[in-house]
This record gives sequence, structure tokens and C-alpha cells, in this order.
Amino acid sequence: MDEAVCPAPGEMNFGDALAELESIVAALEGGQLELEESLTRYQRGVALLQSLQGKLEDAQQKVTALIGELEGEVVEAEA
Amino acid sequence: MAEERAVSVSEAMARARTALEGVRLKVVGEVSEFADKAGYRAAYFTVSDGDAAMQCLMWREQYEASGVTLRCGMLVEMGGHFSTYAAKGRMQFVVRSLTLAGEGRLRLQVAELARRLEAEGLMRPERKRPLPAYPERIGVVTSPRGKAVHDVLRTLKRRYPLAEIVLAGVPVEGAEAPAAIAAGLSAVADAGSDVVLLVRGGGSYEDLMPFNDEGVARAVAACPVPVVTGIGHEPDTSIADMVADVRASTPTAAAESAAPSMDELSAALIKTRRLLGRALQHRVQAAAHRVALLVRRPVFTDYTVLVAPAAQALDQVALSLRRALPDRLETDRDRLARSAADMQRLGPRLAEPAAQRVGHLSRDLERAGALLLERAEEAVTHTAARLHDLSPVAVLGRGYALCRAADGTTVITSAAQVATGDRVSVVLGRGRLGCVVESTEEEVVNG
Repeated sequence: MDEAVCPAPGEMNFGDALAELESIVAALEGGQLELEESLTRYQRGVALLQSLQGKLEDAQQKVTALIGELEGEVVEAEA
Repeated sequence: MAEERAVSVSEAMARARTALEGVRLKVVGEVSEFADKAGYRAAYFTVSDGDAAMQCLMWREQYEASGVTLRCGMLVEMGGHFSTYAAKGRMQFVVRSLTLAGEGRLRLQVAELARRLEAEGLMRPERKRPLPAYPERIGVVTSPRGKAVHDVLRTLKRRYPLAEIVLAGVPVEGAEAPAAIAAGLSAVADAGSDVVLLVRGGGSYEDLMPFNDEGVARAVAACPVPVVTGIGHEPDTSIADMVADVRASTPTAAAESAAPSMDELSAALIKTRRLLGRALQHRVQAAAHRVALLVRRPVFTDYTVLVAPAAQALDQVALSLRRALPDRLETDRDRLARSAADMQRLGPRLAEPAAQRVGHLSRDLERAGALLLERAEEAVTHTAARLHDLSPVAVLGRGYALCRAADGTTVITSAAQVATGDRVSVVLGRGRLGCVVESTEEEVVNG
């Protein structure tokens, strides 16, 4: 896979990035790739992984009220 | 008293009947007993309000026309009049019209709408769309007040804070609710939601009526993205539930079905990281193993193996060469010189007899050729004469004749082959006769 053709992991949406990561794992596990290709894919996979994990860690839910006004604060779930 | 005269029971009942039949009423009550047996000409049932009860009958034709299927506990509104059943001395209410009252009436209307929308195909399983696995924007249509909206927001925050939420806070009860819900659905869809949650908490059956509204049902069906309902009113199913892509039992369940769990995702990513590392490690190990196998091959461990046979052969040749070269060179030089001298001497002498011999041979050849030709000509002439003697034409020339059947091909060799009157063709030494057989004789004395 050509690095130039792939969008940067940070610019991809979560679902697309996850799907690409899954396909990379499957390709690597298939063991049919050339060694150089394996390394390239691995690097791409790690980049996607870091981006995905970062997104999950930093996620702050944004709530926009289009109609009406929300009453009360959203409280955290009791653990 | 003028009316002191005693009357018969029948007459008493007839008078009661006359008095009662003028009482025409509309009555609301709950069905407490119901008997509808095949063969009865009327449906018999009892309607009560807890303090009083009345026995009712409705003639079958009218009962079936009402479209109501009576069940105990049903709230009904009846129109009709009282009458009597003289044989048992009973008073009864003769029902002329029957409809469901209150919630029963609503349920009937809802069931009717459900039937209609189902017939249109709005509830078909193939219309149900799958939910996006990782929605980026989730629309929520519900009341901005109360437990439902907070259940949804809390669940989404816990499970999938990655998604943005667009909320349409709309009234979910009352006359204006259906239009507001439909507007809310379209607003969150227009805002780019990947999935829409339409939720509210439980309530009475009548409170849920906006979710049984035809306009709401059509707005759900027309929504460009999947709709998940979470209308907490088990065991009732609203029409919005039936038309939605996914029906969850509560607002929280709706939120859970629409968003993946971040904890599960994190765990999955950690697992993926391990898999990724392991897969690459395997790939590299496989490559390393192949290299290691190659490195251990003798060609790489001992280069002499590669050149040994060639080196040995070279040594051998060098040895023979060294041994043979000086002697042979001397001998060969002498032999060559002698040969050259011999050649010069013998050359002309060798050629002379050969030329003579060639001359002889060519003359012999010419003679032999001419002789051969002569003999061949003689043989041909002789053979031609033999051939002529053997020819049937030559035989015919000597006075014999050839008799053929009328077909011109079959040769007649026996009198038995023809009958009197047959046409035959007789070939002579010169010319042909067309003959008719006059008689046949099997045996002829040779003469």
C-alpha cells in the first residue's frame, strides 16, 4: 500500500480507520506478503492504532440541542 | 283501584316489556361475562360498572357488523333499549350498536392504523436498515425533560463519547406532540445524524398515543437514516416501534444498541496491537528462518566445496600435460617431417593408376548400359506376343464366340443360365450378334 495514497489516520473517521486496521491485521496474519510490504503495513497499522486509541482517550462528547433546551446536567454513570 | 283485576304472568311480562321498550339509552360499561357460541343467534353478555350489572344481547348480524370482538374486561359503549325475556322473567338490554370505549377505542384505532401501514409494506423486514457500527453523529428525539433524555445521554457518554449528539427536545405528549416529533426527526436527520434515537419513558396507553400517530409513523419510515425506538411501555408495541429499523425496550437499551462500547473497543484495540505485533514477528521470523537455512548450506560454510571438483580436474590435466608434452612434441615433429617428404614423393605416383582405372571403368559402364537396353527391348517384344496369344480377342479370332446375357456383362458358360426366348449377345472375332435362344440343351457331346 502506498503511503501517499492513504489518508492520515487522524483525518479518517473511526469506523474507516478501524476497518483498515482490521484488514492490515488479516493481511499480516495471512503471511502472504513480502517482508518489505509486511513492514510497511505494520507501520501503517501501528499509526492507525495509536490514532484510534488517542481518539477514544480524548473523546469528549459534544451535545448540541437543535430544538428545545436540555434541562439538567448529564451526570456520569455510577460505576 | 281500577286495576285491581289480576292478570296472567304473561300479561304482566307483556306490560313490563311495553314499559321498558320505550327506554332507549347509550350505556358505557365493562364486559364481565360473555358467551358467544356457534349456533346462537345472538351474542349474550353482561356489562357492569362494579355496582350494577345488566344482561345484554345483540343479534348476531348486528354484532358481526359492529367489528368489535368482545372480551371480558373490555370497556364498551352500547346503544339500544331494554326488553324482557318472558320465559325466564328476565330483563335484558337489546344492543343495537356497539363500539369500544376509552382505551379500548384507542387500541382499536391503533390496530386499524397498524393494519393499514402494514398493508402498505412499511413494517416489512427488508425495509429494516442495519445500524452503523461507529456512528459519528447520533440524533436524539425526545422530551428535553425527564429521565429518558438523561438515560440516553448518560449511556452514550459512557459507551461512545466519540460520537457527536444532536438533540431535538420535543413534547412527547399532547396534541402538538406528533407534529413536533416528526419535525424533530427531520431536524436531526438534516443535521447529519448517522442514526436517530426516538425515545420516551413509559406512561399510560393514552400518553403514548403520539407514537401511534400516522404522521409520526410516516416520518420514521421516511427518515433517511436508521431509527431506533426506545419507548418504555412493555408489553405494548407502538406503531413507531413497528416501523422503526430497530426497536429497543427502553431509552437506555436504544442508546446501547446504537453506540459501540468504548471499553470493549479499547480492549479490542489492545488485542489488535498484540495481534499486529505477533503477525509481524511471525513474518520476520519466517524470513529469518529461510535465511538461516540458506546460510547453513555447505556452499556458504565451505567455499572449497563449490570449486573442489573443478580444481581437482584442473590438477589432473596439468599433470598429464606436464608429463606428455616434451616427449610427444619431439616425436611428432619427426613424423611430420617424414610424412611431408613421403607425400612429395608418392603423390604423383599414387594418382596415375587411379586415372587409368577410372577410364576402364567408364568404358565398361557404357558397354554394359547398351547391352542392358537391347535385352530389355527383346523381353518386351516377347511378352507382348505372349500377351496377344492369351487375349480372348485372339481366341475369338480363331473361331470361338463369347456369349453374354442381355445385360451385356454376365458371360453365359452353361445352357442352364438361359431359357428359351432369352435375348443373348454373341461376340465374334469381328462384330457382335443379337440372338434369341430357340432351344437349350444341357449336355452337348463334344464335336
